[in-house]
Amino acid sequence: MKKIKYTARIKRYNPEEDKSYWQDFEVEVEDSLTVLELLMYIKDKIDPTLTFRAFCRSAICGSCAMIINNRAGLACKIQAKDKIKNGVIKIEPLKTLKPVRDLVVDQEPAFDKLKKIKPYLEPDPKVVPDNLKSESLVLPEEFARYDKQTDCILCMACYGQCNALKGDDQYLGPFQLTKVFRFIMDTRDGMDVEERIKLAEDHGIWECVQCQMCFAACPKGISSCDDILELRRIAKDTGEENIATRRAKFWFATVFETGQIDKLNLPAVALNNEKGEKARENLIKEFKQRGIPEDEFGPKPFDGIDKFRNFIKKIEKEL
Amino acid sequence: MKKIGIYPGCCFQGADIHNYDITTKFLENMGVEGILLERAACCGGGVIDETNKKIVYGLNARNIALAEKEGVDLYTPCNTCYMIIAKTKLALDSDPELKEKVNEILAEEGLEYKGTAKIYHTLNLIRDFVGLDEYKKRIKRQISGIKVAPYYGCHVLAPNEVAVDDPENPTILREVLEPLGVEIIEGYKDEDTCCGYHARFTEPEQKERLAIKPLDGAKEAGADIVATPCPLCHKAMDGYDEPILQVTQLINVACGATPEEAGINLNKTEVKLSL
Repeated sequence: MKKIKYTARIKRYNPEEDKSYWQDFEVEVEDSLTVLELLMYIKDKIDPTLTFRAFCRSAICGSCAMIINNRAGLACKIQAKDKIKNGVIKIEPLKTLKPVRDLVVDQEPAFDKLKKIKPYLEPDPKVVPDNLKSESLVLPEEFARYDKQTDCILCMACYGQCNALKGDDQYLGPFQLTKVFRFIMDTRDGMDVEERIKLAEDHGIWECVQCQMCFAACPKGISSCDDILELRRIAKDTGEENIATRRAKFWFATVFETGQIDKLNLPAVALNNEKGEKARENLIKEFKQRGIPEDEFGPKPFDGIDKFRNFIKKIEKEL
Repeated sequence: MKKIGIYPGCCFQGADIHNYDITTKFLENMGVEGILLERAACCGGGVIDETNKKIVYGLNARNIALAEKEGVDLYTPCNTCYMIIAKTKLALDSDPELKEKVNEILAEEGLEYKGTAKIYHTLNLIRDFVGLDEYKKRIKRQISGIKVAPYYGCHVLAPNEVAVDDPENPTILREVLEPLGVEIIEGYKDEDTCCGYHARFTEPEQKERLAIKPLDGAKEAGADIVATPCPLCHKAMDGYDEPILQVTQLINVACGATPEEAGINLNKTEVKLSL
């Protein structure tokens, strides 16, 4: 087995002194180690005080999520040698949760948010039998709608790298919102869709910035940012009226009309208040000052727009 | 002369119309002929998914097919357009059934998605299409005496499958900025925090809270300006204390354009460049 030398740069936290600091560990180890095995080696051979959370070593228990070279992931699933950059591998705790010691973070705030969205099935009596002898039938195509989302192991890698949380620490979080989507899609669930959406809206779906970091972090390939778009769609389709649903409707309508969004009128339509009107007036003033001709204020349909509209209609219906 | 298809997204529309001039001037400076894909449509912007996500596949299969019809690759300066179009390409290329169904519908417009066109953003266009050596040769003058904080934005680094560089330790933006003669300030606080642009019309306060963070981080680290490749990050982050410009604006200036020709006078927060 080939041995390699490198530096493990680990961000440590000492709660007694409330102090975070970086510590370098020089190692010469087999090149086949996972990041978790590297941490275990350091704890065993160099510094027994190094603290991290881990259990199954098989990417299933979700204990060992941390930030490795600036990206969240499971230490047990990532090969250390793939992450050595200029002789260094950088390991730190998840960013949006407070450290307890070294790489262990306090997961409770994220679990409290999970509890808020009622992450359990409320059986629909029309679908779920009232006796223990028969089972409720879920067709494969019905399960396929949320199969991926059931793979979540609550490791919090997505949560640890979420940008929306950097803007609002009360933001529910990616895996919590994926859970809402998962139960809405479940044919056995009896809770009203509106009620589930309401739970997802309080410091929730409208604060997501669609940065894709949750998808990049997820060891199971779940795309919470896409699930959030689906939740927004469901909110809109169940009659929710707000700045975001007005934007979504106007956006699609103008793209269908012209191929492009009408950015002149978008703020006024979405905001639907004086501020929006003012934004339109200011834009018109700015265009005039810059000598932009009036017919270029908004988008114009391109040649062959009818064919384009037919294309969109067919995609909606047939794809 | 090498040719490339310019994809017109919303960053060329309305009050951002000058981005089109910045883009065409940039391509001219790089010795690349830009062909405007006139019938291209909105990429969906992460919003049309809220109507029907299948439309996003359709729109971008069609956008790429328009480039393929012209026999060119597709170029967009926008991080979000790049990410969404590149993600669609991945989906179509890995799912023959989806590709076939989309192509049946595209055929009515005389189009076909083949999967031959590559998707370029400013950063990988400079590195892979123009070439860094050729790029350096085309820089005519140095913008010296200014400290610049590179700001990638999210969608050129995530998801990993479409990242234009190593998403964990990207260097491409530094490699593009260094030849301009500027001093680079890296490792500043919140350099990887999202600008919040996409919350502008879902939760405007969230956008305000986020946009200022990287700007403050850059300022604290002593940067005079922030430079981003993305016109949406630029739009979200312009108007605060610390100024921000697009990388292509700086490149155009370094290739001989006056700051006014590079659209720098249109910034809400004033920028002074010493040449």
